Amino acid sequence: MKAVILAAGEGKRLRPFTETMPKVMLPVANKPVLEYVFDAVKKSGIDEIVVVVGYKKEVIMDYFDEYKDVKITYVTQEKQLGTAHALLQAKKHIKDSFIVLAGDNIIDQNSISKLMKDPSDYAILIKEHPYPSKYGVVFVENNSIRRIVEKPREYIGKYISTGIYKFPRSIFNDIEGCTSQGVHALSSVIQSLVDKGKKINTVLAKSWMDIVYPWDLIYVNEAMIQGTSASAGGIIEKGVTMKGAVSVGKDTKIYSGSYIVGPALIGEGCEIGPNACIFPSTTIGNNTVIHPFGEIRSSVIMDDVHIASNSFISHSVVGRGNIIGNNFSTIARKSTIEIEDEFKKLDMPIGAMIGEDCIIESHVVTEPGIIIGRKCRINSLKRIIKNVPSESKVM
Amino acid sequence: MCGITGYIGFRDAKNILIESLKKLDYRGYDSAGVGIVDKKLKVFKEVGEITNVEKQIPQIKGTLGIGHTRWATHGAVTKENAHPHVSCDKKIAVVHNGIIENFKKLRDELKKKGHKFISQTDTEVIAHLIDDVYKKGNLEDAVISAVKKIEGSYAIAVVCADEPEKLVGARKESPLIIGAGDNENFLASDIPAFLKYTNRVIYLEEDEICVLTKNSIKVFDKKKKEIKKKEEVITWDVKDAEKSGFPHFMLKEIYDQPDTVHQALRGRISEIENSIEFPDRVEKLLNNNPASIHIVACGTSFYAGLVGKYLIENLTNIPVFVELASEYRYFGTRNESSLVIAITQSGETADTLAALKEAKNSGCRTFVVTNVIGSTATRIADAYILTQSGPEIGVAATKTFTSQIVTLFLIALKISLLRNKLGSDELYNYIFHLKELPRKIRQVLDRSDEIAKIAKHLKDVQSVFFIGRGINYPLSLEGALKLKEISYVHAEGFAAGELKHGPFALLTRHTPVVAIVTKDSTYDKMLSNIGEVKARGPKVIAIAEDKDTEIENHADFVLRFPSDSRVLPCLSITVILQLLAYHVASLRGCPIDKPRNLAKSVTVE
Amino acid sequence: MKCVILAAGEGKRMHPLTFTRPKVMLPIAGKPILEWNLLNARDAGLKDFILVIGYKSEMVRNYFGDGKKWKVRIEYINQGKALGTAHAIGTVEKFVDDFIVLCGDTIFGKNDIKNIIKKGTKIGLVEVENAGEYGIVELNGKKVIKIYEKMEEPFSNVINAGIYHFNKKIFNFIRKTEKSPRGEFEITDSINMLVKKETMKGVLLKEWRDVVYPWHLLDANEELLKKIDKKIESPLGKNVTTIGNVSIGKNSRILSGSYIEGPVIIGDDCKIGPNCYIRPYTSIGKNCHIGNACEVKNSIIMDHTNVPHQNYVGDSIMGQNCNLGAGSKVANLRLDKKNIKVVLNGKKIDTKRRKFGIIMGDNVQTGINSMINVGAMIGNNVFVGPGTIATGEIKPHSKIL
Repeated sequence: MKAVILAAGEGKRLRPFTETMPKVMLPVANKPVLEYVFDAVKKSGIDEIVVVVGYKKEVIMDYFDEYKDVKITYVTQEKQLGTAHALLQAKKHIKDSFIVLAGDNIIDQNSISKLMKDPSDYAILIKEHPYPSKYGVVFVENNSIRRIVEKPREYIGKYISTGIYKFPRSIFNDIEGCTSQGVHALSSVIQSLVDKGKKINTVLAKSWMDIVYPWDLIYVNEAMIQGTSASAGGIIEKGVTMKGAVSVGKDTKIYSGSYIVGPALIGEGCEIGPNACIFPSTTIGNNTVIHPFGEIRSSVIMDDVHIASNSFISHSVVGRGNIIGNNFSTIARKSTIEIEDEFKKLDMPIGAMIGEDCIIESHVVTEPGIIIGRKCRINSLKRIIKNVPSESKVM
Repeated sequence: MCGITGYIGFRDAKNILIESLKKLDYRGYDSAGVGIVDKKLKVFKEVGEITNVEKQIPQIKGTLGIGHTRWATHGAVTKENAHPHVSCDKKIAVVHNGIIENFKKLRDELKKKGHKFISQTDTEVIAHLIDDVYKKGNLEDAVISAVKKIEGSYAIAVVCADEPEKLVGARKESPLIIGAGDNENFLASDIPAFLKYTNRVIYLEEDEICVLTKNSIKVFDKKKKEIKKKEEVITWDVKDAEKSGFPHFMLKEIYDQPDTVHQALRGRISEIENSIEFPDRVEKLLNNNPASIHIVACGTSFYAGLVGKYLIENLTNIPVFVELASEYRYFGTRNESSLVIAITQSGETADTLAALKEAKNSGCRTFVVTNVIGSTATRIADAYILTQSGPEIGVAATKTFTSQIVTLFLIALKISLLRNKLGSDELYNYIFHLKELPRKIRQVLDRSDEIAKIAKHLKDVQSVFFIGRGINYPLSLEGALKLKEISYVHAEGFAAGELKHGPFALLTRHTPVVAIVTKDSTYDKMLSNIGEVKARGPKVIAIAEDKDTEIENHADFVLRFPSDSRVLPCLSITVILQLLAYHVASLRGCPIDKPRNLAKSVTVE
Repeated sequence: MKCVILAAGEGKRMHPLTFTRPKVMLPIAGKPILEWNLLNARDAGLKDFILVIGYKSEMVRNYFGDGKKWKVRIEYINQGKALGTAHAIGTVEKFVDDFIVLCGDTIFGKNDIKNIIKKGTKIGLVEVENAGEYGIVELNGKKVIKIYEKMEEPFSNVINAGIYHFNKKIFNFIRKTEKSPRGEFEITDSINMLVKKETMKGVLLKEWRDVVYPWHLLDANEELLKKIDKKIESPLGKNVTTIGNVSIGKNSRILSGSYIEGPVIIGDDCKIGPNCYIRPYTSIGKNCHIGNACEVKNSIIMDHTNVPHQNYVGDSIMGQNCNLGAGSKVANLRLDKKNIKVVLNGKKIDTKRRKFGIIMGDNVQTGINSMINVGAMIGNNVFVGPGTIATGEIKPHSKIL
């Protein structure tokens, strides 16, 4: 059986991080999200994948030319016209029943296997979710779908669609029928099938996570980092304390006095310390330098970042190539965040989310939930109280 | 530049040959063909992709065969012109990479003897030459005899249906490598062709002939004296030699540069410790207070050396002489107080090795900057520094050039430190900005599309001139070399100040000029040079930093590199020059990874 | 009749030992696993061997050469890409008629091999406790009906031992074999096709030992050492005590005060003592130095490695060219006496052993008085500095200062 992975989307709500890469390539525990999806698909026994790419496809194709003996075929969705349209691009590569899944949702391999083994022609993976109203909610009856409603205003049920389906080849005809009538979302195509009387079996997924907003990177990172084991690489100086599952990449140097509590993941070629403190659920990318007395917790720091001394970074995402001056402080608290014309209230503490290649001078403080765009420049002693758009300066 | 391959062993030759041709296709494939001995000699060839040939071949049991991917030099692209070429009785087949300069004369002589020719290629002559002197049971003698008559270059693989236990190869200038397997042996133009099956290689040298059987390898010189050859074990992975989704190796290697710059710095600089470290042997040499430094190299490495001269002299005040390795033996004063630095990507460049040996004989201390561990240069020199860039497959050097510059800069910094000429604040600044380099390069790579647009203006011109001053002068030489190498557009680099001493005469509307303009002491003079150039007609493409608005009043087009590149802006500029050459070549449909007449590691003097 | 031995695998679960050698070259009781199989097969009557090699093939070829040393003939075939057991066996088609195949990383006994050589298509079987991790074989009397994949609840304890007697017909089935869900061509799938057309008889083996994780090497080492004889080929110094079956190679110096409790095997060119204590089930390779006040117990020490001054190594495996600084010690017991867990390839695994020391790759150096904690998995070319504690998984080429 083949798998079709939809990886064409931009992920507008993940800006500024998706300004230079498609959302499926955002790193979680130092691996692109898409790699987790590939792993799960491969472990379920699938050895041929069709990947539908679009937005910034070179980033994906450059990283995954061949993946562990799995044959990968890339098809391009020239214009992003919805999930059903994206799936349609894969039509000529599919001859039998197949699985379709989104490249930005982390799913476990057992759920995929269960879906593959389901006897029905059509099947969907569903999940119980505490906040179903943000998703496509599925109303289940007798183990099959009765209704699927996107972002319902009222409570229909606790199950949401993961967007992972098993379809027979005939689905492409159904999709063509729908798109010609202006329906572009896969969930709408599903609804029309249900209305026509087709039985779509529901299969309960074990673990499933999606990444929609920048802060999701922090929580998904925390979930995935639990699988890390202690593994030392590079040079660990005397007087370094590492507790729990701390993985250090090769050519990295951890200087004396640094205190690292796992689960924590540090990439290759980094310099940490002396006397730097790294606390759980923190991932640090490659070639990053954390100067003395830096404290980092529950954060995702990407590649090529410099963080100067005495900085405090908590529950934050720091994009690639950032140069952050000394005494930089994030304030992490529950907050309401403004993003893409929506206001999102978060129940977990959130610090700052900083896009690529910014230069932040010393003694800058960020309010909870601040989003700073790409290539920004922030002068010293500034208190950032509003989001900073990409390529702007705060003087 | 074609690719040839040969197999003798126990596996089905068909699969092995097709697999290895696919690995060699970066060398050229307007047509391809294989010849397999299965009781009789069976030849299959076709125009276009290798899969076109593959489809033609039935289930065939032969375990001896030769294969070829062709990039036409003599004769049109037709099925008849594709290799292998056979003798009149169709028993001997030959595949060939190279050019036979006297093929017409040879063909006429053979025609007089009654040989019939069906193609317009020079290669076909070889098959008939061998057939002409062939005596049953002695294919290798016939080959030795035949190649004596050839003037030009060749790497050939020969099979004969009457001797199904032999595969014969011969080499002159074009590369040919033997893969020593178990119960099987391989011949190929390049290692990736057989790396999957064996990692033991024997390099054939000039004028050598080899005879391979399933279980033996014999190498002879042209007098049929047997030569003992050494087996080398290749340590790189099959994956390292893959294109990973890029249309050309060269483009992949250009895009590798943010990583390869990291690799050149890894383990050598520490931001927190504010230090630069090389292996002990190198540090000892650098610490030895050389009175002068001689850099010897060829081609692109020579230009890296020129850049190195500016870097080292600026930071250390030690006089630096940069010499072409091939000229080094003819002049130059050197003695025990000179430090000789050889730069060679492969570590096997014959001219550079000869220069290193010269240097050692004169009592100099030597070290080499190279990309290949265990290469001959690392064994000759007193010490070596590896650029750690991974194998470079594209013939035109890209990532190794930038890594060489980074390494030379680190050497300059280290010497400066050892002589107490560099304060710790300055050093910190340098280290910090060195770490920025990969990001700067990435920013240039993101602008590839803009560079492609400008490349259109260079596509159909007669000649392109590159000018620069100071450290930008060697960059202009390299920019011209890259353009020449892969797009076949004539290009020349000049020191901007030299134009008026002659080259101005060449400038016309049809000779655009690429000017490298950096905001330093060379800036004003470059602006006036641009003015002088424009007055004579050509369009000017300037390479300038982001913040430079003034340049727009002078140049017709501007390609930008990131401002605030405090350290080695030459790397960003180099990437622009590489992409410019690449896009021009791409627009002209040139075979980017397989420039005609060029070989990757030039092991001939 | 030819004996084909599959020796191409890396053995990723044997990291860090297999970073620098293929699995079949791991030494137990003084010889690589592959050599044990070669000797047992030779003693069973086989004289012509084909070794299918791949990963780090040079190590196999350089050690075994053409086989003259063991009075056998050895040929090599390079598998190319690691595409599974059926693919590996398929490469030898042109070289064999009736032939035996055995998996090079499992040790088979001489008498069992003799039984397999007897006429007819055969498969070796063995009864194990943890049958669910292997391929279960369904039989009808002695006839093989089907081989099943790993099952969660196996219906039988009889598994595929990894030794076969085939004739040329197997190659037809190998050609028809499709890729398994793992993405490999498995010989068990070929066999399942074969048994529908031909008879294949199962032969129950009496001796069988496979090794999956590095600590299994210690178990295998112990089992093989129980069978060695006393054989001392070097002169013993004054006041040297050897108890039980101790085997010492040529040109070794056993200095005064050495106390060696067998079964222990010591290679050629070693320097043992003075005043060291070597306890049972220890294998020491060639050119090693076990020095003054050192104690080594139940361990495998590979060639050219030094345990030179005041060290303790217990229940451990050390690679080649290692050097322990004076006073460096290995811990092999948790204070709470629980089973020891290790991190291998980033995953946590329970060794199910109360006593377990460390696994050390090649070229590792430790400074004076360094301490290596239980279950440490040290990659090759690591440097553990003086007075430091090394724990957990340590990647190759790292430094713990």
